[in-house]
Amino acid sequence: MFFLKQWRFWLSLLLVGFCLYFILPNFNSKNSDSKINFGLDIQGGYSYLLELNEDEFKQNLLIKTTQVLENSYNLQSEILEDQIFIPSGQNIEDLNNLVIQSLGLEVVDRSDDGTSLAILQQNFNQSLSEMTLNAVEIVRSRVDFLGNKELSIQKIGLNKILLEIPGDLDNNVKDVISKTAKLTLHIEKRTLVNSTVFFNEETGEEVRVQEIPNLTGDYIQDASLQYNQNEPVVAFSFNKEGSDLFAKMTSENVGSRFAIVLDGALITAPVIREAITGGSGQISGNFTNESANNLAIILKSGSLPTEIKIIQEKQVGPTLGREGVQKGIYASLIALIAITLFMIVYYKISGVFTTLTIISCLGLLFAFMTLLNTTLTLPGVIGIVLTIGMCVDANVLVFERIRENFKNSIENPKHEGFNSAYVTILDSNLTTLFAAIFLFAFGFGPIRGFSISLIIGIISSLIVTYIVLKFFINITSEKYLGLNK
Amino acid sequence: MINFYSYKNKSYLVSSILIIFTVIIIFFKGLNLGIDFKGGLNFEVRTNLSNDQIINVFQDIKNDREIIVKKEIGSDVYAIRIETGDDNASFIEKINQLILEHPEMEVLISEYIEPTFSDELIKNSLYAMASSLLVIAFYIWIRFDWQFAASGIFALLHDVFIAIGFMSLFNIEFNLTMIAALLLIAGYSINDTIVLFDRLRTITSDENNKNSFSDNVNNSIKLNLRRTILTSFTTILALICLVILAPVNLTEMPIVFIFGVLVGTYSSLFLALSIVGDLNYEAVLKARES
Repeated sequence: MFFLKQWRFWLSLLLVGFCLYFILPNFNSKNSDSKINFGLDIQGGYSYLLELNEDEFKQNLLIKTTQVLENSYNLQSEILEDQIFIPSGQNIEDLNNLVIQSLGLEVVDRSDDGTSLAILQQNFNQSLSEMTLNAVEIVRSRVDFLGNKELSIQKIGLNKILLEIPGDLDNNVKDVISKTAKLTLHIEKRTLVNSTVFFNEETGEEVRVQEIPNLTGDYIQDASLQYNQNEPVVAFSFNKEGSDLFAKMTSENVGSRFAIVLDGALITAPVIREAITGGSGQISGNFTNESANNLAIILKSGSLPTEIKIIQEKQVGPTLGREGVQKGIYASLIALIAITLFMIVYYKISGVFTTLTIISCLGLLFAFMTLLNTTLTLPGVIGIVLTIGMCVDANVLVFERIRENFKNSIENPKHEGFNSAYVTILDSNLTTLFAAIFLFAFGFGPIRGFSISLIIGIISSLIVTYIVLKFFINITSEKYLGLNK
Repeated sequence: MINFYSYKNKSYLVSSILIIFTVIIIFFKGLNLGIDFKGGLNFEVRTNLSNDQIINVFQDIKNDREIIVKKEIGSDVYAIRIETGDDNASFIEKINQLILEHPEMEVLISEYIEPTFSDELIKNSLYAMASSLLVIAFYIWIRFDWQFAASGIFALLHDVFIAIGFMSLFNIEFNLTMIAALLLIAGYSINDTIVLFDRLRTITSDENNKNSFSDNVNNSIKLNLRRTILTSFTTILALICLVILAPVNLTEMPIVFIFGVLVGTYSSLFLALSIVGDLNYEAVLKARES
């Protein structure tokens, strides 16, 4: 058994074992972890791409910074567009460059009137990114509470969140993710100074209250749907700190009304009859079961740092997904059969080697995909078809080089031919590989799905050509390769 | 045997005509931008209704919005595209309501893209393509020479641009998936070209080789001709299977790719090496000899 002496034989065996080890769990319906994920375009489902408001976040950050300037450095400052202006005449000795930098700011302009500061772009991007990660968790918890188990949620870019949920459309999801859910409580105020009016469009109720909220929803610990005289209401309870503040607020204002405001719109404005010390309360106001439950969920999950906007929504019905997969698989299989038949007719026994090489290439590709937990989408399937093409091309290059060496009676034609062809294959495949890596890094959606399978495919193709194909060529006598014409 | 190098001027002429033709088509017909790049709503519905009947369904709520209905090749599936306007959120609600009232239309896919986001997608795709082009150019420059890098990139842009012209001519929708198709063409084209570059490099680096540059070019092509034809043939074979069997919303992509493979094969055989020659690569070789 001469082929047992070939290291490529043992490596090929190892490769087959590696592929089987990772691919087999995909067919085991119980094991759900180590599997290739299918994109929404294949399995059906819906997705939302959410964008957090960058400008609003910047304003909030500027306000926070002016507060720090006032509290820690005793400086009065104002916000002018996206800059902070510190009028002159104040003691700014403490505010040296080091401090400015540690606050994430930079000096834009110093004049006799005062100093202008702007937020460092790098710092801003970092905070924005952190805020988005935070928002991802809030959105995740909201959708989780609705009972969606298989959702996938990820941060995209600096301020975007991609939410993908397989299965049938649930309209509640859109309802709970698109609300900022900033809950604020305001005590009624009769003067015009520092006050504002909130209005309820449905009931026509309106109340003039203190502009700065007395209490916010950040202190809410739990919320749930309950019934009060058969009307759905949202019951909520504050944490310890919130309970104390709520008790203080209600005890100091017995007899006044207080407004419960959600995202700038008045929900209801009840009268405080007595101090509420238990730290819990109820919001009632024309709810349906669904809307009360959704509100409870978003209060429980906390408010989003800024307003959120749905910039892309997509729904793929289950039929197209199923058809797509079936047709995709048929197309790939038939293409595969057509190519291998052609190769066998043209190259005889070498064509059989090509077939085996393609199969191991696909095996390795799927093994890597499972190992890396990649998501396979339809553009990804097209990337795989291109991979098969490149693998066939590698085979053709090798065979043609060997044939040419035979013709020119070059010594050791198989070995020389393979090596010189492999240099060509490396050059052409690496170029495509590098391009695909950049596409993956910068691309979005289908481009990413396409490039990830291309990257994995090229690597697999290079490996199997070097190990499996070369092994077959090594063990086959030159006259049987069918190339010596 | 075809003397490829001697066809140099003719192929430059053919390519120039193709490029000018593409510019004219794009200028007059424009690109059929999908919602990925324009924003808007897109539906794929399966229905027995006719084109006009579908437009009628949307007549009441569309206001000034433009609606384009197009039958997908060889199926009972229609692509419906509605452009964006004021207050898109409530418009989507209305559309969803309308779809519920019309069970004779089965919605396979629905997608909405905010125009601000599609602007970002355009930018994003351009960055992705430009950066991968740069990386290709850089790699060829390192492994070969700048003449090869310039010629390779030119051949690639040539193929992709003419493929865009093809899409414009046949009114094929330009969207993110099509960007993937164009990238596929780019990848195929550069792959094909580099194999020839590699051969030319091997041939010209042989010290015993006293042939003229044009002979070297011809030899490089001749020795790889079978491979080029075989690979193009097997690729097209696979693509034809995809055209016949791909899901309805993906049939156009392999058609564009088949066209790209043909142009790519032409450009690597007739353009790439000739351009390397015209960029005076011979001088580099002579300098190396002495």
